Amino acid sequence: MKIIHTHRWLVIYALLLWGGNSVGAATSREVIAEAMLASNDREKIAIIDTLAGLGDADLAALLAAWKRDELFVFSDTNGSKTPVLIPGGQDAFDTAVPQTILGQVILVDGSGEVVVPTRDTMDRVRHNNRLRRAMKRVLDLMDLGSEAAGKRLQAVQTIGFSRDLDNLPVLEARLAIEENGQVHQALRQAIALVQLNHAEPVVRLAAVKELGKIHSLSSTDALTSILADATKAGDQALVAAATSALREVEEHRSVVDFVGTIFRGLSLGSILLVVALGLAITFGLMGVINMAHGEMIAVGAYTTYLVQNIFGAGIVIPAFGLSIGIPGMNLEGWGYELYFVAAVPASFLMAALVGIALERGIIQFLYRRPLESLLATWGVSLVLQQVFKLMFGANNVQVSSPSYLSGNWTVADIVFGWNRVFVIGFAILIVFGVWLALNKTSLGLLIRAVMQNRSMAGFMGVRTARVNMLTFGLGSGLAGLAGAFLSQIGNVGPSLGQAYIVDSFMVVVVGGVGNIAGTVISAFGIGGIDQVLQQYLPVWAPGLGWVPFFGGFLQNLAQDSSVFGKILVLAFIILFLQWRPAGIFARKGRQLDE
Amino acid sequence: MKFSKLLAVGALSLSALISSVQAAESVKVGVLHSLSGTMAISETSLRDILLFTFDEINAKGGVLGKKIEPVVVDGASDWPLFAEKAKQLLEQDEVAVTFGCWTSVSRKSVLPVYEKNNGLLFYPVQYEGEEESQNVFYTAEAVNQQATPAVDYLLEQGYTKFYLLGTDYVYPQTTNLVLLEYLLSKGVPIENIGGGFRRDGDGDVISAGKYTGFGHTDYQQIISEIKQFAAGGDTAVISTLNGDTNVPFFKEYAAAGLSAETCPVVSFSISEDEFRGLPADQLVGQLGCWTYFQSIESPANEKFVADFQAWLAKSNVTGLVKEGRVTCSPMVLSYAGVYLWKAAVEKAGSFDVDKVRMALKSGLSFDGPGGTVTTQPNMHLTKNVFIGETKANGQFEILEEFEGVYGEPWLKGKFK
Repeated sequence: MKIIHTHRWLVIYALLLWGGNSVGAATSREVIAEAMLASNDREKIAIIDTLAGLGDADLAALLAAWKRDELFVFSDTNGSKTPVLIPGGQDAFDTAVPQTILGQVILVDGSGEVVVPTRDTMDRVRHNNRLRRAMKRVLDLMDLGSEAAGKRLQAVQTIGFSRDLDNLPVLEARLAIEENGQVHQALRQAIALVQLNHAEPVVRLAAVKELGKIHSLSSTDALTSILADATKAGDQALVAAATSALREVEEHRSVVDFVGTIFRGLSLGSILLVVALGLAITFGLMGVINMAHGEMIAVGAYTTYLVQNIFGAGIVIPAFGLSIGIPGMNLEGWGYELYFVAAVPASFLMAALVGIALERGIIQFLYRRPLESLLATWGVSLVLQQVFKLMFGANNVQVSSPSYLSGNWTVADIVFGWNRVFVIGFAILIVFGVWLALNKTSLGLLIRAVMQNRSMAGFMGVRTARVNMLTFGLGSGLAGLAGAFLSQIGNVGPSLGQAYIVDSFMVVVVGGVGNIAGTVISAFGIGGIDQVLQQYLPVWAPGLGWVPFFGGFLQNLAQDSSVFGKILVLAFIILFLQWRPAGIFARKGRQLDE
Repeated sequence: MKFSKLLAVGALSLSALISSVQAAESVKVGVLHSLSGTMAISETSLRDILLFTFDEINAKGGVLGKKIEPVVVDGASDWPLFAEKAKQLLEQDEVAVTFGCWTSVSRKSVLPVYEKNNGLLFYPVQYEGEEESQNVFYTAEAVNQQATPAVDYLLEQGYTKFYLLGTDYVYPQTTNLVLLEYLLSKGVPIENIGGGFRRDGDGDVISAGKYTGFGHTDYQQIISEIKQFAAGGDTAVISTLNGDTNVPFFKEYAAAGLSAETCPVVSFSISEDEFRGLPADQLVGQLGCWTYFQSIESPANEKFVADFQAWLAKSNVTGLVKEGRVTCSPMVLSYAGVYLWKAAVEKAGSFDVDKVRMALKSGLSFDGPGGTVTTQPNMHLTKNVFIGETKANGQFEILEEFEGVYGEPWLKGKFK
């Protein structure tokens, strides 16, 4: 192994610059076979580390097989151990033919018979996070030469964090030829991080300055420890450089936090908006105190779950003693992931249908009795929750996030999660859609007429019953859309609606009942304030010790910012409603016919 | 016929002697769990395993020749109701022992009832310690049988920074305080412990870590804080988040580009049973620490899992879920509790609580699915502790085992 170690750099150099093949003494097969036989994780990791730079074709395949649990150590009767590969792993013991790692031949016993693997003779070679990290590092060094910029970026970051001086030449070689801006930046950071361990003080000083210049958030810990060491050693130049580098990093961090907070506020606001928009119609415009609004959201979320299963393996719903089987399309890959695109309109339609049934069955009789509509819809909400339990079980169901909603863009250290960007964009779209529907279509005109004065609209020949039904359907459908989105960021369970009903009413009431624009402003306002408090309470709170009586209490708000942030938002809302009881935009709507 | 029945009823109400003769074939045992409300999802599994255990024991002749007759009551996730039901079990049904409670608050609420009536409660779920009642036997994991071994493992693996995160109630708060002391005692500097601290007037830490309420859904801010905290590498998150708040947490965690390889999460509240409602495939590589995993490869465990599945298949208990069932640590600790009680009763030769307690304190052992467990004089259990890593099928791959860890309830201030 020694030999490989000393030749490692030559090898990697060769790999990176000329894409050539391994020239080391041991092949990756030999090294991996040795690692498999090592007695503990520490040794295994040490051996795997020596693989760095062995770029032969087997390496990635063997490590992948290890991660798939296909590597085993075979112990025969006289105690000798042979590392083998069994395609399919433990589940395939009956049919699989074990192959030796070293010779790549079929494993035979003393009499020449093919060995049939059993649990007693085959010891699975296990792996854990640490081992996989070591494997990843090896693969990362291979990935440095990868065509895909994303792979190179990850590789550079991992190598930088290892802060292993051995890696310096590789990184510098790559820096000279790197063309992608993001990877280039990451390379500079990785090189500087590694150089912090350099023996030469001049190199260390330059590295510290470099880290400050590129605002490297990841280097805070490293810089802090360098600063402490330098202070102890009395190295004035290094102390000064580290202090100013840390200041630059902190300034960058405050910008990142600020932009991040705005983004998170927008995203929380969008969720509140999407959730409350349906209620702004059923409660705001129609005046129905709709306690079943939350369950309409849950209908949307469960519809998403159903659609997901229909795109997948199908589902059996044991409802009311009957078993309703819905066959699946058994799609895989992209076809399956597109389920969400189909789920969005399906959620809208399903919730709209349930809403229409609810309006026809119960609410149409209660338009002049708002308090009774409260009780009736509350009852409906309880019934619907029980229906969910009967159909889908009391446990939460699993809705997977398609890959196009589970990644992120990172711009200058600010993370924009795709699901969040999506929900913001979607909120804007449906607000625009609702505005169009209410203001630019003839149905919208009828809705507004009926909501302003039902009897008068009726006298003018508007079929008010039908308009009521469609309006309630629209509001419920919007709640269903909200459910489809909530399935991407949280739980889907029978009590999903309960978690959002209070927020929904809050947003609508603060915005001003009967006003869609008010709902929009109030949703973003509440979302923004909540996130600002969560972000900045820890910063502000320690300075509040001077407040009489409450000083100690306020100082401690920092830690529980997510809990106290919510409480403070509620307190603001109470005060706000004292000041403006009718919300942001007070407008006369339905009150005219009461 | 009618006359003799009347006579029997009259005799029962008159004489305690006769009533004990009447009950000769069976002994009443209480089961006190939430079968409705928010905790039902978790606690119903414990009722199921208890009924299974009783059937198993009854099939082999019962306890001291008497069949176990379970009295199942529903605490309905309502803490005062737990106390009422406990009172009913002890004063009306006169049960010999009770197996029950999940949340610490339910245990605290029934505690005075058990102490007043000198009853005996077996409590099976990981808890925060700082309690040692003579009327409760804690088969549960103490903090040093879950949290501190997990930290030992992380330290050994080379992690240097730890972010503490939990749901805002007594178990996470106490556990994190103990962990803070433990980490400091292991030489981890306080800057390397994330999540923030709350201090009292004298500057002493009274709460460590970040907390969110039950049912919290918005983890954006916390994840961005974790991401910055973990930017320097070698960071692990220690999570005592409860049940379904884990879904929004892990979805946000994945969306921010964090992974088990860059910043693993060790969770103390996610067992195999919880995975039935969680997207296990998104949690691959995250760590768990319990005194039992279903994946333990031992004949005792394989038999236990198979017997339980066979019982599920043929049982006709109402409301029993039969599909996709798994076994987990609280279930096995309930199971072990029943057998330990049986052993104690047989050693004492009596169902009398004081005699059974004496026997329990004398160090009884039971070879269960998770290995051997032994009772201690402080009403806790010595047991094996396992560190496991989540696999896509919702099971754990066992990475490390600590054998025979002594259950210590009083840990605050111990590591200072």
